[in-house]
Amino acid sequence: MDTDRRIQDIKDRLAYIRDIFGGKEDDHIRLLTAKLGEVLDRDAATPGGVQAEELSRLEDLFAFSERKLDTQLTPMDRVRIVRHPQRICLKDILENVYDNYTEIGGRGEFNIDPSMLIARAYFSRRVGERIVNQMVMVIGQEKGHGEAYRNGGSVKPWGNAKALHYMKVAETENIPIHTFVFTPGAYPVEDWPGAAQQIARNLYEMAALRAPVVAVFSEGGSGGAEAVGLADRRIMLSHGYYSVISPEGAAAIEGGLRTDSRATPELIEKCARQLRITALDNLENGYVDRVLQEPPLGARPTHYDFFRDLRRELIQATNEAVSEVRSMKLFRAMAVRASVGDAEVVFMRWNLSSSASNRLVDLRQRKFRAMSRHACLDGTGLIKRMAASARGTVWAANSFLRYDLLGRQKKRLDAMLEDLGAEAHIVRRKLLMPLKRIMDSILPVTNVEQQKKGDAVRDRLTRLSCPEDGACLVGSEWAWISPRSQEDRTVSCPQVRTHHCPDLWVPDLYGDFAGVCPSCGHHFPMEYPWYLHNVFDYDRSREFNQRLESMNPLGYEQFDAKLDQAKERTGLKSACITFETAINGVETVVAVLCAPFRGGSVGAAEGEKFIRAAERAGRKRQPFIAYVHGTAGIRIQEGVNGVIQMPRCTIAVRRYIDGGGLYLVLYDTNSYAGPVASFLGCSPYQFAVHSSNIGFAGPGVIAETTGMAVAPDYHSAYHALSRGHIHGIWDRREVRKNLHQALLTMGGRNLYYR
Amino acid sequence: MLNIKELLDTVKASPYREIVIHAPHTGVVEFTGLKAGDRVHGRFGEYKEKPGTLLGHLTREKNKKPIHAPEKGEVGMIRTELEGKFVEAGEPLVTIKHFLTRQEVIELVLQKALYLFRAPERAKYYFVPEVDQKLKVSGKRSVKVREGMELMIVSRMKRETPLSYSGPEGIIYSVYFGRGDNVDEGEPLIGVCPEDQLSVIQDVVARIQSEWEEE
Amino acid sequence: MSGTGHKVLIANRGEIAMRVMRACVGLGLDFVCVHTPEDVHSGHVRLARELGGEGAVYRIHSYLDANELFAVADAAKATAVHPGYGFFAEDFRFARRVVRRDRPMEFIGPSWWVIRDLGDKINTKRIARSLDVPTVPGSDRPVYSEMEADEIAASLFEFQATQGIIDGVIMVKASAGGGGMGIEEVGSFDEFRSVFRRIRNYAKRNFGDEGVLIEQRIFDFNHLEVQVVSERGGRNHVHFGTRNCSIQSTGKQKRVEVAPGFAPGVVPYTFDAARTLADITDYSLAMAREAGYDNVGTWEWIVTPRGEPFLMEVNTRIQVENGVSAVISRVKGQPVDIITEQIRLALGQSLGYSQEDIAFEGVGIEYRIVAENTDNRFTPCAGTVTRLSWQEHDWLRVFTQVPPDAPYDIPMEYDPNLALAIVWGTDLDEAKARGLRFLDELVLEGTVSGREGAFYTNIRYLAGMTGEILEF
Repeated sequence: MDTDRRIQDIKDRLAYIRDIFGGKEDDHIRLLTAKLGEVLDRDAATPGGVQAEELSRLEDLFAFSERKLDTQLTPMDRVRIVRHPQRICLKDILENVYDNYTEIGGRGEFNIDPSMLIARAYFSRRVGERIVNQMVMVIGQEKGHGEAYRNGGSVKPWGNAKALHYMKVAETENIPIHTFVFTPGAYPVEDWPGAAQQIARNLYEMAALRAPVVAVFSEGGSGGAEAVGLADRRIMLSHGYYSVISPEGAAAIEGGLRTDSRATPELIEKCARQLRITALDNLENGYVDRVLQEPPLGARPTHYDFFRDLRRELIQATNEAVSEVRSMKLFRAMAVRASVGDAEVVFMRWNLSSSASNRLVDLRQRKFRAMSRHACLDGTGLIKRMAASARGTVWAANSFLRYDLLGRQKKRLDAMLEDLGAEAHIVRRKLLMPLKRIMDSILPVTNVEQQKKGDAVRDRLTRLSCPEDGACLVGSEWAWISPRSQEDRTVSCPQVRTHHCPDLWVPDLYGDFAGVCPSCGHHFPMEYPWYLHNVFDYDRSREFNQRLESMNPLGYEQFDAKLDQAKERTGLKSACITFETAINGVETVVAVLCAPFRGGSVGAAEGEKFIRAAERAGRKRQPFIAYVHGTAGIRIQEGVNGVIQMPRCTIAVRRYIDGGGLYLVLYDTNSYAGPVASFLGCSPYQFAVHSSNIGFAGPGVIAETTGMAVAPDYHSAYHALSRGHIHGIWDRREVRKNLHQALLTMGGRNLYYR
Repeated sequence: MLNIKELLDTVKASPYREIVIHAPHTGVVEFTGLKAGDRVHGRFGEYKEKPGTLLGHLTREKNKKPIHAPEKGEVGMIRTELEGKFVEAGEPLVTIKHFLTRQEVIELVLQKALYLFRAPERAKYYFVPEVDQKLKVSGKRSVKVREGMELMIVSRMKRETPLSYSGPEGIIYSVYFGRGDNVDEGEPLIGVCPEDQLSVIQDVVARIQSEWEEE
Repeated sequence: MSGTGHKVLIANRGEIAMRVMRACVGLGLDFVCVHTPEDVHSGHVRLARELGGEGAVYRIHSYLDANELFAVADAAKATAVHPGYGFFAEDFRFARRVVRRDRPMEFIGPSWWVIRDLGDKINTKRIARSLDVPTVPGSDRPVYSEMEADEIAASLFEFQATQGIIDGVIMVKASAGGGGMGIEEVGSFDEFRSVFRRIRNYAKRNFGDEGVLIEQRIFDFNHLEVQVVSERGGRNHVHFGTRNCSIQSTGKQKRVEVAPGFAPGVVPYTFDAARTLADITDYSLAMAREAGYDNVGTWEWIVTPRGEPFLMEVNTRIQVENGVSAVISRVKGQPVDIITEQIRLALGQSLGYSQEDIAFEGVGIEYRIVAENTDNRFTPCAGTVTRLSWQEHDWLRVFTQVPPDAPYDIPMEYDPNLALAIVWGTDLDEAKARGLRFLDELVLEGTVSGREGAFYTNIRYLAGMTGEILEF
């Protein structure tokens, strides 16, 4: 190699080291700088340049130091590695890992979304004498080594829609899917199909996708990662990160900072450490299955050995996923298991039979169901828990007996009787009416009789109807009234500029008006007990899993105290309340996300409660209503324990809906981020209370990531409705009536009252 | 023919408009310490979502409401002697000397150039729903008016009667009344530009755009 | 008296504000009055200055903004609020706020729960029915279901047929509606269902409640009222006779009111008019007792040509026409002012007399003088009154906010009433003759947009209607 190029190479390596250590001072870096300086000086002074041996020594020193430095990498350094333009990207993998590939749906920037890359790729395998090409669908974010139009791998909603489309294609073609997660997060715009709603759709489909999915995580930025990350096998690159939020974002929230000021590097480092975002952390927590070791200081495009390892790893993982569900399991499965380290020796076809793909989906669902159990506290005693699980089985059996075995027969019988009755009525009319007419003409009704009939009519029209209700029908309509109504003061309606509403007296507003401005209909935010009592008849409901409790699984600093404070202030153990209640006689399972408990954020406890509620509704064949009083997103202090609730809960909801239930979501106040982008946003029936906001990221985050200021009403329910994200807007005072109507008219075949 | 130069010169001779800020309703007034001569600004931001300079507060029935400057300008008079006192509705509180913006000058000059359809009586005026809809969706200049066309609804003493347009055919170029405002008899309601004069009017606008510097 | 020391905020305008002011002065009470910028020249502002000085007048931005009224009440240290009629007079939330705020005041009107219970037409109808008080045949609760509606409609047509009404008509109205919105008439059962659906949808859209009322449409009725006066505490009730308010403009605005409600023995009726008057008085008092009524109020009745009364509604407030009842009433031989009684009772005084102490004498007629074109659907004139004058008589009282010595711009925002004139006579003939004489002597001139020809008044109309008073 020519000297100049070698020197340039070494210079680049040093620059890379400086970049990823973010300007931190370190002995190794100082040494390398000094040594390189010496060599450069000598190179300039010596005619003909330095000796090749000298360069080799320097290269060795660099290799040695890089190994040393690799052991010192902090989580934040890893973040800088994956964000570095020299980091391998999906194109490199397609070039080096697969034997051939064809990109689908774009060429460079001529693409509906260049940050989402789709390719048909294959591995060429030698089987005996033949060469077999094993097809896979490759889907993943492309960062393109910093090409501007790749948007840093931040995928727009339509990019995720494209990804979903080709997942479905792979399902149809019966080939495995390899997804690659290279994203700092999704691009938070609401334009159709909408950032949150599209991720939710992807999760919902992947929850039951009948094709094996292997995911490789390099940069797993929260919701953007989940859009392609729900997989049967999840491999993480050793220098990657997988996190609920960027360390900078966490630091901004932690420091309570406004958008225009920046958090200190120390705080960002600390957040990165606390969020437990590294590959090993995630392996330990059970959120990835395997970690693939990268070269020191992270894989770059020239690390060909690494690509070989990745190829082996991908084949191995795909083999595993397929062999696990194959009916002819024994021999090959053993072979697959034995082949760790050299996957290429085993060849198996990757197409699946129908029953195998059923098993695949089932296994995938169980896999996620089992995650994150360690991240919440179940205060329910062991015996109670066992009783509960036994009860679950009994309910399911009971429902089957009542509604399937007997119910169906009864329904058939009822329908027959109804038909018979209708027939009989016609026959009777036909026979009797002429007779009656003749009778009437012969024997005219006496005056007395007519008089009597007239009196009855008169009575009905002039006497008090339903006297049992009492004469007075007026009075307060509400079973629960906000304590704010006790204060003698007035407030202005926020829409006063456009609607000229007079100021409202608070006792009227929060009492009679249920928090609704009588002149413009603006809904002031209302406490969640209002809905519990005025909509869900909470006093007569049966709450369950009340003792399932939020905790601090990452030992996040100061979070224990904050959590205790939230528990004390709200009297809740998590942000989620689940109970059974009757809405105008229809038995229903309800899950409520309460905004006052840590902003209604979703962590492991909330997710677990939500899942159990969905399962309970499924077993009892009851409708399942999620009332979102408000949610700020996934609870960042729980890290991936929180993010993983997105696929977990979506899977639970998917199972419930596939079982023939009715899953209805009602948003109130403000609902944002992860939950909307998963188990809430995937519901086919999403409604919002007036004046609520629904979206993916708040205006501040949007301004920061996209550089655009959005209109103040960007996330308003009306915009969500016109964008197609939700399906109706309800008046708070009519929620109960509308819910009842929905219960009667929507949902699947397997509801107990159908 | 319209003498734009002359018109502009008259405006330039007195490029200010005095805005009087009245107490919108009764209440106790507090000022924020602004003095005569201080600069203030009106609403701003890409969506005009940020309010103008805070001038003071008016508190009524325990509701403390901010009073913001509606436009850019310089504080003329400020009634600091009312600090902490109960004021009646309509009490003048602050005056702002507002340097006319380009848009305002255009409107001012256009009033001379356009055909003005005036209020026949003191009343509240509304556009008929079809026109209202069109104005909202497609903006001014999307509605063409003809002699005898039913254009507005006159609302007076709880009675509503239709009002037909009379004047030359043309497009609505300016609207001079707000929803729910009382318009005095003889005040202009809309400015209409006959189609053959459209280019002249556009010239006027372009001239002012280039000659008037205040945004 | 126990009422002294009070300061009354008069939360209204025009002639009612002036009458309340005078009543306050008569009772030795302080008062404070409000006005909007449009009303700055109104007579009530001038009178307030005369009687109470500059400090008794406050400018507010709207009579309809309760917060303005309370802010003024606090600034002026008022201890009681008189709502007049219109505006907040029948708003139970306003009445409730008066007594429930941190600095509570007396509300000069019935207690808020009484206003709430009787302010709701359906509820009033149900209370009436629970006491066997006759109400218009039809539903007494909002109807939601189509089947129930069909049944009621069918029986209403049937019922009218049995009553000998061949072309029966029923009314379908939004139960949450009011002011003539969301009402349709149906002449046959075939049309009914589509009308019902239309009104139900209208109600849903406009009032957020799909409840619909279905009632018989009564034609050719007379409109009668019973003036009830009750003590705080709701135990003692008296009435000040009946009024007939059947002479109305096309917009159902009253123009002439007469007390008492019929003239049996003078005017021939096809039914026992004295009996009908006695019945509606008894029914009204029975309801007042049941509802715990505790201030002045009016029970409104319609009487069919066959003399059957039906309760329409209860007005839980002082009414414009209270003076015409007062003019024929004597308490222990002395004249009475119902507004004074209202204030006195609301502030906690006891009645001090019973029904036996109340006697009725003669006939009263009240004319509402309005600048309007009676030949063209009573279109109001928005103009300037240049002259309003009349001859004084001991049988005549005129209430007006129009200043006698200056031109007066009729504000467009409010009711177009310019003046009320109450004429008294020993019998109907004398009252009518005096009424005509007053109208003849009355001068009302004005301009519209500076032109005299465009200014209309209803004086000729009133004179014309005087001949028909109390005829049925």
